Amino acid sequence: MTNAVSTATRPATSDMVRRLPEYLMIWVPLLLSAAHLISFSIWTIWISFTPSTLVPVTGWVGLRNYTSVLASRNWQIAFDNLLLFGSAFVLLSLITGLMLAILLDQRIRGENVLRSIFLYPLAVSFVVTGTVWSWLLNPGIGIEKLAHDLGWASFHFDWLVNRDMAIWTIVIAAIWQSSGFAMALFLAGLRSVDADIIKAAQIDGAGPIRTYWRVILPTLWPITITVVVIQLQFAISAFDLVRALTNGGPGIATQLPALVVYDLMFQRSQLGRGAAAAVLMLLILLAVLLPYAAWRYVQRRQATHA
Amino acid sequence: MPITATRRRLLAGSAAALALPAFARAQGAPKPRLTAISQWSAGSDGAAITALGKKFEEKGGVWQHSPVPGFTTEMMNKLRAQIIAGDPPACSQLKGPEIAAWSKIAPTVDLDSIVAAAGYEKVVAPDLAKLHKPGGKWIALPLQIYSTNMLFLSKRAMDKAKADKIPVTWADFNDLAEKMKAGGITYPVANGGTRPDDGQKFEASLAGISPTAYRAAIMNLDKMALEGPEIKAAFAQARKISNWMDPNVGAQPYATNLKRFVDGDMGMMIMGGWAQGVLRNAGFKFDDFMIAPGPSDNGKPVFLLNADAFIFWQRKEPDLQAGQALMAQLVMDPAIQTMYSQITGSIPVRTDVDLSGEGWSDGQRRTAAALKDAIASNQAVLSLAHNMAQENGLTAAMIDVITEYVKNKTITPDQAVTRLAEAVEGSR
Repeated sequence: MTNAVSTATRPATSDMVRRLPEYLMIWVPLLLSAAHLISFSIWTIWISFTPSTLVPVTGWVGLRNYTSVLASRNWQIAFDNLLLFGSAFVLLSLITGLMLAILLDQRIRGENVLRSIFLYPLAVSFVVTGTVWSWLLNPGIGIEKLAHDLGWASFHFDWLVNRDMAIWTIVIAAIWQSSGFAMALFLAGLRSVDADIIKAAQIDGAGPIRTYWRVILPTLWPITITVVVIQLQFAISAFDLVRALTNGGPGIATQLPALVVYDLMFQRSQLGRGAAAAVLMLLILLAVLLPYAAWRYVQRRQATHA
Repeated sequence: MPITATRRRLLAGSAAALALPAFARAQGAPKPRLTAISQWSAGSDGAAITALGKKFEEKGGVWQHSPVPGFTTEMMNKLRAQIIAGDPPACSQLKGPEIAAWSKIAPTVDLDSIVAAAGYEKVVAPDLAKLHKPGGKWIALPLQIYSTNMLFLSKRAMDKAKADKIPVTWADFNDLAEKMKAGGITYPVANGGTRPDDGQKFEASLAGISPTAYRAAIMNLDKMALEGPEIKAAFAQARKISNWMDPNVGAQPYATNLKRFVDGDMGMMIMGGWAQGVLRNAGFKFDDFMIAPGPSDNGKPVFLLNADAFIFWQRKEPDLQAGQALMAQLVMDPAIQTMYSQITGSIPVRTDVDLSGEGWSDGQRRTAAALKDAIASNQAVLSLAHNMAQENGLTAAMIDVITEYVKNKTITPDQAVTRLAEAVEGSR
């Protein structure tokens, strides 16, 4: 009996030992980063309920930090901007990315070069993107001046310094930066569509537009949702791009939640309120990510059942 | 074998070498040593503090300065981390009301006897002195002073406007701006788009209209004064100024416009005295521009104080304590303040330093004279835009209102007054 057990476990243990490097490679970093993430999240949540200002202190102020952040003009502007920026940016980058992907999918010459060019902005840091666009969009030195110098004197494009339109300059720069990313994912999706289905559609007499609309695009749903979620989490945590492009200005017209958090914590030395704003950001992020996780879960269940 | 022997001997030798200084230290008085952090790493600021360090070493001290480049807030993050870890620097850069705020989170050094021995208090502006002795005892020492409301006039723009008189009151300023506009200068006021920049437009307006109202409303946060007629008048003046500024500047710093200012495409600049150093570093000549105290309606100069300072954190090590004493003596020394200000373009904290000699610019002399007059007429007040009047949280809340007002011309002065009062109430 005991003999049988030991002979049965021996190959298993040696298998374990053989695979030890794999386990170490995967689990140690995973556990470390999870512990890191979770412990600091919990720490931040705790700080958000304390009267901390310059340094973290213990104590309990209930929801006072939250109410004061929610009541502040900065946060209200930031939240409205987030709604506008988030939806406009995600929608437009999705459309741009999809259009680029479809156009590149036409088996054109120089596809590799074009693909690299469209993807290249992704390799540039957001600070650089923001700085360059802040020059391009500046009416005094950028596009508007160029148009004027070329003789088009009535040309007017001052969004960067126009309080009502400044948020759109961030949308423009963000789309420039990341629609290549959406394009790459969509292109992969387009290429993975079964050629037989397309051929079948063509035999049935569908034109190219109809083929795309009725046959190919519906298969891109999973990719679309992935792109939306990734872009949304970028939009919610956007910081460096805005800081370099408008720095929340003109005035406080282009505040975004991440800027408010940084401002409260490190510029106003109000750790408690900053932590509260950070927790609010986390809640917004969860509002996006939880439905996505649920959707993935349901999908996987359906897949295993099938 | 021989190799091991040599290595062992080497190890023994180096151990002895390491032990030697400790042994020597135990023999007599400790050699003064100073650990310091500041944001001054490059340009004239970096050069000035390096020169200070040299003087410290000349006096037999060990100078250990760790600069944290970037914004002041980044230096503060390092300071915060060191304080939480129980290892504060012997001395760090810190200024304004932040001195009082930070002194509550870690013990500081009582400098009263050193300051009294140097007779320093008599030669420092009273409002400034108060900031450095929050609990009634000196714990920090101011190092250099800037005024945030100096008026810079472009010579070429003055020629275009056919004007030669330096404006004294806001009415004079407004007349000159109109003249410049009529003379073909589209933007009579050169500006930046940053928060402190907008803040300076407002604080210069208010202090120039009434230093008394400024003191009551901005420094003492008196509710009546905050809603008073002077605040409304200041917002109205700030709107006039903003109408003369180039809106295209976006979020860029004021220095972007220096060339247009010198060329006479822009006429006037309300900026801190540090702009003088920046202009000089950018290669412009002193004859390209004039410097005068900012407009003041009662004719006597108003001085909006901005001062850099060092705070001293309590340490047990005798060598660090000796270093702190030496540093304090150096910072108060008129010769050291002269050396420092001549490098950075500021003026000395001591009001008894003679600026008539070589090495001082005309602008510095005018600034120092303005400070003396302003103190005499009780018109030296603390700058809001540069974090001297209030703690960072309150300052930021007030600047929010001001920067939005400067950029958004649909807000009326009346609305701005209400918002400013609300912002103060909301963050108290």
